[in-house]
Amino acid sequence: MLNVASPLINGLKITLQHLFKKPVTLQYPTERPEIGPRFRGLHALNRYHDRSKCVACYLCPTVCPAKCITVEAAEDPITHDKYASRYDIDLLRCIFCGYCVEACPVDAVKMTGNFELANYSRDDFNYTQEKLTDKQ
Amino acid sequence: MVNLTIDDKQVTVAKDATIYDAAKSAGIKIPILCHDKKLHPFGGCRMCLVEVEQMKGRLIPSCTTPATEGMIVRTSNEEIVKARKLVLELLLLKHPVDCPVCDAAGDCDLQNLTYEYGVSKNPLSDEKFRWEIDYINPLIERDMNRCVHCGKCARICDEIVSFGAYTFINRGIDAKMGTAFDGPLECEFCGSCVSVCPVGALLSRPFKFKARWWAMQKVKSVCSYCGTGCQLTLGVKDNKVLTTIYDENQGFHNGQLCTRGRWGYQFVNSEKRLTTPLIRKGSALVEATWDEALALVSTKLGEAKSAAAALVTPRLTNEELFLFKKLFTEGVGSENLDHSAGYAHAALTDAALKGLGEAASPSVIADIQKCDLLLVVKSDAYETHPVIGFEINLGVKRQGVNLRIVSDKSGKLSRLPGAQTLLHTPGSELVLFNTLANIIVTEKLVDASAPLLDGYAALVTALSSCTVEKGAAVTGLTPEALVALAKEYAASEKALILMPLGLGYPGHGSALAQSLLNLAMLTGRIGKEGSGVLFMGEKNNSQGAADLGIVPGKNGKDAAGIIDGCIAGTIKALYLVGENPVVSYPDRKKVEAALSKVDFLVVQDLFLTESAAKAHVVLPACSFAEKDGTFTSLGRNVQKITKAIKPVGSSKSDYEIFNKIHAAVTGKPLYASCQALFTEISESVSGYAGLTWAKLGSNGVVRPVTLSPKLVPVVAPAPTAEAGKFALLTGSALNHCGTLSQYGEGPMMVCPEGYVEFGRADVKRLSLVEGDKVTVSSTAGSVTLKAKLGNRLSEGVVFAPYHFNDNSINSIATGAPVTWVSVAKAK
Repeated sequence: MLNVASPLINGLKITLQHLFKKPVTLQYPTERPEIGPRFRGLHALNRYHDRSKCVACYLCPTVCPAKCITVEAAEDPITHDKYASRYDIDLLRCIFCGYCVEACPVDAVKMTGNFELANYSRDDFNYTQEKLTDKQ
Repeated sequence: MVNLTIDDKQVTVAKDATIYDAAKSAGIKIPILCHDKKLHPFGGCRMCLVEVEQMKGRLIPSCTTPATEGMIVRTSNEEIVKARKLVLELLLLKHPVDCPVCDAAGDCDLQNLTYEYGVSKNPLSDEKFRWEIDYINPLIERDMNRCVHCGKCARICDEIVSFGAYTFINRGIDAKMGTAFDGPLECEFCGSCVSVCPVGALLSRPFKFKARWWAMQKVKSVCSYCGTGCQLTLGVKDNKVLTTIYDENQGFHNGQLCTRGRWGYQFVNSEKRLTTPLIRKGSALVEATWDEALALVSTKLGEAKSAAAALVTPRLTNEELFLFKKLFTEGVGSENLDHSAGYAHAALTDAALKGLGEAASPSVIADIQKCDLLLVVKSDAYETHPVIGFEINLGVKRQGVNLRIVSDKSGKLSRLPGAQTLLHTPGSELVLFNTLANIIVTEKLVDASAPLLDGYAALVTALSSCTVEKGAAVTGLTPEALVALAKEYAASEKALILMPLGLGYPGHGSALAQSLLNLAMLTGRIGKEGSGVLFMGEKNNSQGAADLGIVPGKNGKDAAGIIDGCIAGTIKALYLVGENPVVSYPDRKKVEAALSKVDFLVVQDLFLTESAAKAHVVLPACSFAEKDGTFTSLGRNVQKITKAIKPVGSSKSDYEIFNKIHAAVTGKPLYASCQALFTEISESVSGYAGLTWAKLGSNGVVRPVTLSPKLVPVVAPAPTAEAGKFALLTGSALNHCGTLSQYGEGPMMVCPEGYVEFGRADVKRLSLVEGDKVTVSSTAGSVTLKAKLGNRLSEGVVFAPYHFNDNSINSIATGAPVTWVSVAKAK
């Protein structure tokens, strides 16, 4: 008889303890979660002077397992530098693996803590270079 | 043969092989940066160091060390790897390591070896080079900061191209690969240096930043410009041909390409490509559906019957030409079928057919390297077929071939070691070769086989009037020079004659070809290895068109007859397939009048050409990159092309278009594939008997020509001459081929417009400066062109290429071997 009661009491004990602890539930969106430094959220392109740092080496579209990155290179008519005239990420295909960041030889692409990516239309999920490049 | 042991493997190689060659033949890879199989060993990079048991104590460069009997070679051990790593570290010390922005990445020997040897850090440190990068020239970008000093560019330019644009300049750490006086690169832009560069020091500008090497699909094909039949590898991405890729194992030319083959591919994805069929409604061409257009063409051709005519380009595949001939002769019922203005193929379809029994050259490209004496008719052979020009360079420099050029202007070939150029008066080739033949007869140099040939007696009688004195007077050469050339030719055991054909060379027709064949037959220099005559067809499938008989039938009209017929109104419907007679045929005014006059004109082409603009129906066709099929190049090499991209827009391949019209006109079922047509060709065309699609393989098949030689005398009309006038010679420019290359960006960057070239004497006389506008007038009209100054032409002779529409030289050239013109500076 006693054997049946003790687990029940133990359970109730834990419940009682939690009544006096800080609640686990986050009151999102009024309360915000703390994002880890290595969290893999929305991509961003670092800026270098007037344009993104990307040199259009095509390593990220090459390594991307989801094939969601489209890069087009162009030549600066004055400096003859290579830059990305187009850098699009199709977020609907992205699996947030972070390989693009790992592959980048010039530290151009990074992943931010932004995880709120809901949107209204499919087109809104196509992140262009302009949308991705850090604002100054 | 020599026996040696490499990495415990027994290897037997030829006596002249190096250790590197021996290892390669045994499948052992030795890393190397400065070696190309086409070039002489250099021993510059020190990556190929190996250990030889008999020469212990130091490491041996395998690429310059001959393999000797009993050698025991080790290609890799700790010491060797250490040495190679040091080589890489020293190279990387100065190399900018800017792989992310370098187009060579992925196809870079330095990058690959660095990865293979795991050189991830460098114990040495130094400043990088700070050479200025050459962005000036339109095709080749030179970044000497990336250079590893392998010297391949300088060597290929010297050994194979024979131009010599590069050399090492400065000493020690300042040494770099430079041009004359370290100035801008001014060469013929064949791009051979770009193809062999192991790093990204030399890069293609038109391809700059277009795609990474690994992202492209590599498709093997055959070049669609001249008749040489060079194999290409196309770099394809997103349904676009982006570049040509070097593959040293392709074709007889080992991947070597000329300026138009390497840079002229852009026409495939040109924005000017036609994408929909067009039908004339009133004065405008209006977009239409394929069904409408094809129905209209089928009905009109069916109605015209024997009053229909067609001019077909020899750029089509064999299958397409075969199907078209069937469609036209059997379906439509007309024999008015021709190509290349009727004269640019006559050497094959008339002279060779009469004199040899087959419409093909009795020699192959490989003969160039095997002959003792090479007689080139016109120095233009280099301009019309540049890769054959490389073969000549190699033959002269490596095999000791004696080069003789008979030409109305000197050229690049004239500068080869030991080359002798006989400059004759314009238009006197035929007299010259008849005279040579007569010298052979009178000097009793005739081969024993010649008197047994048909027509020998008639030829000897006909030649008796072509005396040396007369020949010398007409050609402007000394009698001694003529006799010496004839004797040399007869004395050479293996003598080969090269004759380029083309729309720009109206004099290179049937008669000249026949006189060359006579010369070869009289001396017995035919039908043997290294001997004979090689007729160099102008277009990629000129030989195929000759084999398949794209010529007028017995009662048919030839190209000139068709043009006349259009004007006279006897030709009711004209079908132009890929031909652009307005620009490429002589006497432009007449051609334009004919195309405007004809009741119904169909043009099937890639572009809205000057001829297509006059059409009633325009059908958009596909380029060589968008279809499967076979081309037959000179020396009768049948090669396969592979579809690399999908047709542009709603264009259809010529095969598909012909297939539909053929079915509509004849009521027969559609062909299932072009392979089915190829089978039919192999069954019905004698030269192709026994060929199958599978047999063609990647290198193609050279079809032998069965000779039944016959001597046919040719009468040489005395060349015309007009006092006080200039002799205008038309021809091919190095960067262009036909009118197609006008749509290739590369050729147009270097040679964007027509010009008229003068020799030194005339430059002085007319006090011309490069780029001066000059008005050239003939009886047919006048054009104003830029003057180009050169040192190739004799006094009173000018040269102009025919490829261009603007100020087209064909509006004053009338189709005679020489047009007499007056020249004045334009105001």
